[in-house]
Amino acid sequence: VFDRLWSELRYRWRALVRRDTVELELDDELQFHLEQEARKLEAKGLSREAAWRAARVAFGATEAVKDDTRDVRGVVGLEQTWSDFSHTLRSLLAHRAFTVGVVATLALGIGVNATVFGIVDRLLVRSPERLRDVDRVHRVHLSWTQDGQRRSERHVQFPRLTDFQRDLRHFDLVAGFQVRTAAIGRGEDTREAPIAIITPNVLDAFDAPPTLGRWFTAADEAAPDGGRVAVLAHGFWLTRYGGRPEVLGETLQVDRMDATIVGVAPPGFTGIIESRAPAVFVPLRAFASAARGPAFATSYNWSWLELMVRRRAGVTEEAANADLTQAFRRSWAAESALRGDRDDVAERDPSARVGSVHLGRGPDARLDARVALWIAGVAVVVFLVACANVANLFLARAVHRQRDMAMRLALGVGRGRLARQLLMESLTLGVAGGMCGVLLAWTAGSALRVMLLPEGASAAVVTDVRTWLVTFALSLAAGALTVVVPATLAGRLDVTAVLKSGGRGATRPRRRLQAGLVVAQAALSAVLLVGAAVFVLSAERAQAHRLGLDVERLVYAEVNMRGTRLDEAGAATLAATIEDAVRAEPGVAAVTMAASVPFWTNEARGLIVPGVPDIRERGRFTLQAGSPDYFAATGTRILRGRGFTPGDVAGGLPIIVVSDGMARAVWPGREALGQCVRVDTMPPVPGATRLEPPCRTVVGVAEESAMTRLEPTREFTYYLPVPQFPEGVSPQFLVRTDLDTTAIAGALRERIQPLLPGAAYVNVVPLADLVAPQYRAWQAGATVFTAFGALALVLAALGLHSLVAYEVAQREQEFGVRVALGATRRDVLTLVVSRGTRLVAIGVGAGLALAVAVARPLESVLFHQSARDPLVFATVATSLFLAAIVAALAPGLRATRVDPAEALRAE
Amino acid sequence: MPPDKLGLPQGTLDLLILKALSLGPMHGWAISERLHQVSKEAVQVPQGSLYPALHRLERQGWIDASWGASDNNRKAKYYAITRAGRRQLDTEAESWRRLAAAVQQILAMR
Repeated sequence: VFDRLWSELRYRWRALVRRDTVELELDDELQFHLEQEARKLEAKGLSREAAWRAARVAFGATEAVKDDTRDVRGVVGLEQTWSDFSHTLRSLLAHRAFTVGVVATLALGIGVNATVFGIVDRLLVRSPERLRDVDRVHRVHLSWTQDGQRRSERHVQFPRLTDFQRDLRHFDLVAGFQVRTAAIGRGEDTREAPIAIITPNVLDAFDAPPTLGRWFTAADEAAPDGGRVAVLAHGFWLTRYGGRPEVLGETLQVDRMDATIVGVAPPGFTGIIESRAPAVFVPLRAFASAARGPAFATSYNWSWLELMVRRRAGVTEEAANADLTQAFRRSWAAESALRGDRDDVAERDPSARVGSVHLGRGPDARLDARVALWIAGVAVVVFLVACANVANLFLARAVHRQRDMAMRLALGVGRGRLARQLLMESLTLGVAGGMCGVLLAWTAGSALRVMLLPEGASAAVVTDVRTWLVTFALSLAAGALTVVVPATLAGRLDVTAVLKSGGRGATRPRRRLQAGLVVAQAALSAVLLVGAAVFVLSAERAQAHRLGLDVERLVYAEVNMRGTRLDEAGAATLAATIEDAVRAEPGVAAVTMAASVPFWTNEARGLIVPGVPDIRERGRFTLQAGSPDYFAATGTRILRGRGFTPGDVAGGLPIIVVSDGMARAVWPGREALGQCVRVDTMPPVPGATRLEPPCRTVVGVAEESAMTRLEPTREFTYYLPVPQFPEGVSPQFLVRTDLDTTAIAGALRERIQPLLPGAAYVNVVPLADLVAPQYRAWQAGATVFTAFGALALVLAALGLHSLVAYEVAQREQEFGVRVALGATRRDVLTLVVSRGTRLVAIGVGAGLALAVAVARPLESVLFHQSARDPLVFATVATSLFLAAIVAALAPGLRATRVDPAEALRAE
Repeated sequence: MPPDKLGLPQGTLDLLILKALSLGPMHGWAISERLHQVSKEAVQVPQGSLYPALHRLERQGWIDASWGASDNNRKAKYYAITRAGRRQLDTEAESWRRLAAAVQQILAMR
C-alpha cells in the first residue's frame, strides 16, 4: 500500500513540477513508436511516405492520445487552477483602474470591520487573560430605591466586602479590587501610573503563577493593616527595572505606602480590570489603611471597591442572586444600625445580582461600549455598501467582457471553467482587499481604537487570531458575494445573441440587478448620513452643555503628600504658601482649594436637615470645600445670596452654600436661604457617642454644577468654606487662568514642586483633560458616522454613475433616433438624469424609513438629540439628490452629444 | 477494424501489458508488436490506447520506466515490471482464468 502511495506521489510530483520535461518525454516516446512502426512497414516494401501515413493511421490521433495520457497524470485540475490564476493576475494587471477600485473599496470595507471587530471583541466578548472558570466568575451589581427610582451601583465599601465574605454561601470566592492612578517611586523617579489594589484571593480565580518571587498571601491581608508589599506588573518590571531579578526585597513607594517588592506578575496579567493595565499590584488592606487610616475597615462612607465573585460549581445564577441579595440586605441593615438610622430595608429594597465580567454587558455599560456596538453595525453597513459597489464594478466590466466570454464559450470553453475563472478573479480581489484592509486596520485603525477603547488599553488589537480569522472570512465573503453576480451572468449568457449583437445585448435582469444595487446603496447611505448628522449635533450639544463651571479655563493641581506627615499648622502653612505661589504666577486669575475635583474625586458626607428625615432618598450630595475665591475661580454662578468671604472663619457663623437643584430637592416650594443643614463630617466610631454636628445656615444658592458626569440626575453639590471644614482639605487646587491651560500647567508644576517637603509630589493637569473622556464616545460616534457616511455617499454616487453611464452607452442609438424624431437635447438630458434620481428617490425613501425604525435605540446613546429630526432628514434627502444629479449629469451630457446621423447609420 | 481481428474486452489491456513485460523490459512499440504476434495477429491493440495504459500502470507502481537505447541505437523509453506488478499480474491472471473457465462452462451448457 505504501509502495503504491509513494509511487503515486512521486509520479504526480514529477508531473506537476517537471511538467515541461514530462511533456517532452511523451512527445519523444510517441515519436519513437511512430518511427518503429514506419520502419517496419517500409521494410515490408511501402514507400517512406506511405509507411509514415499508415503508421499514423494505425496509431490514431496523436493529440487525443496525449490528452488521454495527461488525464492519467491526475494533475489537470491543479494545472487549470494555476493557469486560471495566472490568467487572472494578467487580466487584473491589464485593467489597473478596475483592480485598484475594487481592492481599495474592499480594503476600506474589510479594514473598518477588522478594526471594529477587534474593539467590540475586546469590550464585550473576549474573556480576560488567564481567567479560569470564566462562566462562573462575575462582577456584582447592586441596586436600591432612591427617591422612587432604582439606583444601580457596583462600587462598595470595605465593610460591605467583609459582610459579603462572611455571609455569602453560594460563592467560593468573594474578592475586592480597584484600579487607580497613583504616584510610584520617590523623588526624581516619581511617575504616575495605574495601580491595582486587590484582595489576595483575586489570584485564586486566575491561572497566573508569578514570573518571579511570590504573589500575595493571606498574611498580606491580615487585620488590621495587612502587609506592605507589592508585586510588579511584568511590563513595568521590564521597563523600569530592566527585568533584574534582584528587584525582590527592594522598597518601592506606592502612593502613600512604602512597600517591599515580593514578586513579578506573569506577562499579560491585568486581572479583570478592563480600563488601564496596572503597573503595580498592592494588597487592598495595606493600601486602604495607608490612604485612609484605620477608619477604612468600619466606615460605610467610602465606596471605592468593585467586587469579583465566583459561584460554586452547580449553583445557578438565580440562586446566586438570591444569596447575594440576602447578604446585601443584612449588610444594609448593619450600616443603618451603625449610622443610627432607622431600618429602611423594606422600603429601599436593596438587591444584588451577578453580571458579566465585561462591564460593557452589564447594566452600567459605559457609553463607549454602547457606541462601539452602533459603530459595529455601521461597519457592517459599510461592508455591504462596499460589496454592492464591487459587484457594480464587476457588472460594468462584464459589459466589456461579454463578447470575449461569448467568444470563449463558442470556442468550447466550458461554462464551468468560465465560472471558475470568475470565482478565481473574485477571490484574488477579495484576498488582496483583505490584506490591504489589515494594513489599513493596523495604521488608521489605531485612531479608532484610541477613540473607543479605554485609555492605556493595548493598541495592538489586530494581532490576535480571532481578528485575523474574521478578516479572512470577510475577504472570502466579499469575494463570494461579488462573484455570485458575475457567475450567474456567465451561466445565463446567450452565446449567439451576444455574438450577433456585437456585445450590446444587455439582459434585462442584469439591469434590474444593477438598479437594485444602486437603490440599496442609496438607502444605506441615507441611514449612515442621518446617523452622522444626529451624532454631530449630539456631540455639539454635549460640548455646548454648561457644566456649571468653566472647565476650559481651569487647571487642577494636586499635591500628593505620600506619607510625609505634617501637623495641622504645618499643613495649613504649606497650603497657604502654595496658594500664594500659584497666585503669583503670571496668567493666573484666581485660585482655590477644593475638597472634590469635578470628574476626578468626590467627597460625600451624611446630611441631617431638620424636618427632612428622608434626606438620603432625595438625591446624592457631593461635598465641596473651597477658599473664599472658590466661586470666582471656578465660574460657578451664585444665583441667590452670597458665596464665600474671608470672614467665613473657623470660629465664625457656620455657613453653607447649596446648589439650586439641592435647594429644590430638599426644600421644595420653600426658600432655601436661612435654612439649617448639619453636615456629618466626622466618620462614626463604633461604640462612641455621636456628637451632633453644628447647624450651618444656608447663605447662598449656586447654579448646579456637574461633578461626576455631564448630566447628573439627582446628584447635587453643597459648598463649605475650607476653614469651617474640620477634617481639613488635602492640598489640591483649582486654578483659573486666561492663558493656555497646558502651558500654565507646566509652569505651575515647576513653581510648586520646589516648595514640597520629602517625597511629596505635585501633579498638574488641565481640568478639560479630566472631562474629555465624557465627550469621547459622542465624538467617536460623530467622527466615525461622518467618515463612514461620506464614504458610503461617494460609493453610492460612483455606483449610480457607472449604472447611468452604462445605460447611456446601451441606448446611444435610441437617443439618436429620439433626437432625429425631434426630441431636444434637454429632453434627452432629463430622461437620463431622471432615471438616476428616480432610483435614488426609492433608495432614500427606504433609507429614511429604516432610519426611523432604528431611531429609538439610537437616541439612547445621543445627548439631548432626537434621531428623527425632520431637518436632518430633509438635509440628507436633499444632499443625496444633489449627489445623484451630479453623478448622472456627466453621462447625461454624453447622451445629448449623440449624433443622430451616426446613430441611424449604425442601425 | 477488420472482421477477423478481436477487440479487447474492457480492462484486459492492463493484464496483457503486464504479462508481456513479465518476460522482460521493452518499449511501447515492442509491447504492441509482441501482443500482435503472440496472439497470432488475432488481438489488435489500438496503438494509441497503449500509452495512457502504460502511464496509468506506471503511476500505480506496477511498472517502472527508464530511458535506454533501442536496437537501432535510438533513445527509447523502456518499461519493466515491478514486484508489485508481478503480484498484480498473478491476481489478475487468476481471476481471468476463472472467468474464462466459467464462461466456457456456461457456453457448454446443454
